[in-house]
Amino acid sequence: MSATVPFHRVNVLTGIKSARMIEDAGEYAKLIKRAKRPLLVLGPLLVKGSLNGRFLIEYAFEIAKSASIPICATGHVKVKMMEAGVKPDSEYDVVEIINALKDPDWMGVKKEGNHDLVIFFGIRSDFAEQGLSVLKHFAPHLKTMTLCKFYFPHANYSLPNIKKDEQWKEFLEALISNLRG
Amino acid sequence: MAELKEIRKRLEEIEKLIKAEIAWEPVGPTPMPEVPALRNWDMRLLKTYAPWYAPFCDLCCLCTFGKCDLTEDRRGACGIDIATQQARMVLLACLIGCSCHTAHGAHILEYLIEKHGPDKKIDLGRGIEVEAPHIRTVIGLKPETLSDLKIAIEYVYKEITHLLDSVHTGQEGSYLDYESKALHAGMLDHVGMEAADIAQIVGFNYPTSVAETPLVGLGWGAIDKTKPVILVVGHNPVTSTALIDYLRANNLYDKVEVGGICCTALETTRYSDRAKVVGPLSRQLFFLRTGIPDVIMTDEQCIRTDMPIEASKAGSALIATLDKAMYGLPDATEMATEEIVKQMVGEKKHFAILEPAKAAEVAVKVAMEIAPQRKKEWLSEEEAKGLAERCNDCGMCERVCPNLFSIGDGIIEVAKGNFDLIREQFRRCIGCGKCEEECPREVPIFKIMQTAASKESWKIRAGRGPIMDTEIRNVGASITLGTIPGVVAFVGCSNYPDIEDLAEMVEEFAKRKYIVVVSGCAAMVAGMKKDADGKTIYEKYPPDFDGGGIVNVGSCVANSHITGAAIKVVNIFAKLPLRGNYEVVADHTLNRLGACGVAWGAYSQKAAAIGTGCNRLGIPVILGPHSSKYRRLYLSRKEEGDWRVMDARTKEVVDTGEPAPEHLTYVCETKEKAMVMIAKLCIRRNDTPQGRAIKLNHYISLYKKYMGGGLPEDLHLFVRRDADLPIVYKKEARVYLQEIGWKPKEPVGLPTLIGTYPSKVSVDSVI
Ligand code: SF4
Ligand code: SF4
Ligand code: SF4
Repeated sequence: MSATVPFHRVNVLTGIKSARMIEDAGEYAKLIKRAKRPLLVLGPLLVKGSLNGRFLIEYAFEIAKSASIPICATGHVKVKMMEAGVKPDSEYDVVEIINALKDPDWMGVKKEGNHDLVIFFGIRSDFAEQGLSVLKHFAPHLKTMTLCKFYFPHANYSLPNIKKDEQWKEFLEALISNLRG
Repeated sequence: MAELKEIRKRLEEIEKLIKAEIAWEPVGPTPMPEVPALRNWDMRLLKTYAPWYAPFCDLCCLCTFGKCDLTEDRRGACGIDIATQQARMVLLACLIGCSCHTAHGAHILEYLIEKHGPDKKIDLGRGIEVEAPHIRTVIGLKPETLSDLKIAIEYVYKEITHLLDSVHTGQEGSYLDYESKALHAGMLDHVGMEAADIAQIVGFNYPTSVAETPLVGLGWGAIDKTKPVILVVGHNPVTSTALIDYLRANNLYDKVEVGGICCTALETTRYSDRAKVVGPLSRQLFFLRTGIPDVIMTDEQCIRTDMPIEASKAGSALIATLDKAMYGLPDATEMATEEIVKQMVGEKKHFAILEPAKAAEVAVKVAMEIAPQRKKEWLSEEEAKGLAERCNDCGMCERVCPNLFSIGDGIIEVAKGNFDLIREQFRRCIGCGKCEEECPREVPIFKIMQTAASKESWKIRAGRGPIMDTEIRNVGASITLGTIPGVVAFVGCSNYPDIEDLAEMVEEFAKRKYIVVVSGCAAMVAGMKKDADGKTIYEKYPPDFDGGGIVNVGSCVANSHITGAAIKVVNIFAKLPLRGNYEVVADHTLNRLGACGVAWGAYSQKAAAIGTGCNRLGIPVILGPHSSKYRRLYLSRKEEGDWRVMDARTKEVVDTGEPAPEHLTYVCETKEKAMVMIAKLCIRRNDTPQGRAIKLNHYISLYKKYMGGGLPEDLHLFVRRDADLPIVYKKEARVYLQEIGWKPKEPVGLPTLIGTYPSKVSVDSVI
């Protein structure tokens, strides 16, 4: 099997343990549903980004809602959330939340125990890769997943590099309906 | 016995070197420290601010035992684990940075000692009596002459060797010890920088003890390209000062244009305010490809390694002037000047010339000869459109862009005659050239960018070097008590998510009456924005080290004056001795001095060293998103962290529960977050209620401005008593505090970490 090259080549993995690439929204949904305490970490790319006229953050809200996943707002994401009338369940920067997640004894954003699946969405890919690497190496007690349209080698589960936004939109929509179902 | 004898011998040597017989201050516990001397301090810091590692990859590729897979608790063939391997790489980066500054210092010093003799007195002008705060504190020496600076440099050299030795395969096995060594390297770096800048100031007679340094031209728009143009690139002013001397001596000062990129630009404008600052590192390749420079003179650090290729492409002549970067060029130092000029003009050859005066003469002669034949035309919009039409939207450029944006989209818009997007992208471009290199259609992206690049020029205040003792006297109390909300230093390279972030952040804090200090490429970029009246920040804010002032200290080596200012506050305001007294000085800074460094665009290993040096001295540093690639941060866990201090007055250990400062090295993804964090990281345990209220006022108002309303979730951790609450937010904050069951606590009278960990230093020495 030849390795998948991430879209942004600054993120090329040098090593042996790279993410499982998953294209099927149903499989993604299963992984999320199977998790006991998932967490959705939202990054600032969602503040401006849109997909066919719909703000990316709206997809994030729907994913969170349909599977009852708590949200952690990073960067200045909270601004956009408050505008939309959604209060994040927690507010940590990417490095802060990762630092907390690293500790198996951390009680998590709901104070119910550390999370077992962390889903990242909307963080610049180089920064996200570095963060995912922290968890890959120092947090064996949890799995990581990404929802951005690029392949993230340091995650456990990642989307492939998606060429067309339309495809990405389809995936996110299918994910939402699978999570609801 | 033998060991004791050794120690005594070493002490004697040190005492001799630091002239212990001159009793300007008693010699403190750690003159000329080796790693173990400050290890306990480091370990205490690392307990609260634990290293956070973000490995690039899974492997270690350092030796022939490997490569070794270090995933999932595997250890390398040498026994190392992934954390320790990361720490080793961090130490290596800090050593590279420290070596750059120190070797630069050594080179300048050697040159200047030859010029002026070893006994040339150090005089930094009126108002500066504490001439070398780092050298005094770390080494225990009060340098009086150039040759005294050599003692400092030689000490740093020796320590570098020891530290470098420890990264060898099969040595240090603890990430904490590697971090302690990295902190040591960081501290040494500031000594090296200080020695370098003092030497420069003294040897080149740079103006100092003046706040109002001249405003000089900034941007390529400031360059008069009708004249022969010589571009100096790098950090070391030995060559550019020789160039100015030559022009002055030969009546050519008006006839040749000298511009600089990177720190050497800042250095040159301290020597001649007619020289221009072309811009930061991110504009290097772009400017080279405009073809405006007739002659390029490189020195060291942060110069492109493909200079000969780029120079040839643009038809510019290249002279390498320092042994650190000779590009495989023939060394023409011994060749006759006329012969070099002939070959450079006639055969378009590039040379290395390691004798500054000679290099200067050649540069001027070549520039005067070739300039009239060279065309330096900017691309017209029509031409750009034509070139952009070659793009077939393959997206290759986007995939290799380290700043992760699609320059291809901008090019496609240009092809349609729309330049808006590329103009915006040019602000985000870090100038690496990867896009153009990768483009299968050979679209000349950099050339097309010319139409996006503003031809306007700006003003930058020439770097001024050290902060005056008089200024420290005026603000010492306000900084320590917290009524000046903080000192924020914007420093470093130009690896920004967006070049405008910097000017915006600088202005936000100047308006809020923080003391704002800038240096290096950050100082340039901060000036590259005008307000509605056409004014840059340097024209709008006073150049004083005071609340609401913006001080450009100068080049990267001048960063030592920023940390030096912190040390001076400890000495001049708090009256604590400096001599060999590093631990007390660092402890004071950590607990009582609201300072924060921001290296928003850090790219260089020097920035790693500078930042780590700030950390050992108790100053937190915020970095931009690219800097996650430094692989290591120092983070606390505010709720779980150890926030105990000793109250030096009552001698009791108190758990303050107060994460102040919360982190030592922190990466932010956006400028919005960075600004909120800056305000927070300026909070110190020693703030008076009035000072704390001012700091919290800024923290809350920045939070409301950039984070979307409400109060920060961790506000309660920073409120000790009701009096700490800022008036404007009192009502709202009281409701919040009541809601979460906050209880008031007594502020600590004289907070110190000394006494909470094993140390030779007694608690009484902090009073
Ligand atoms: S230094 Fe150690 S971990 Fe690295 S390649 Fe050599 S044996 Fe392996
Ligand atoms: S030169 Fe600019 S646009 Fe091109 S790859 Fe580098 S940062 Fe990206
Ligand atoms: S690589 Fe070249 S052809 Fe491809 S999108 Fe970029 S500029 Fe256009």
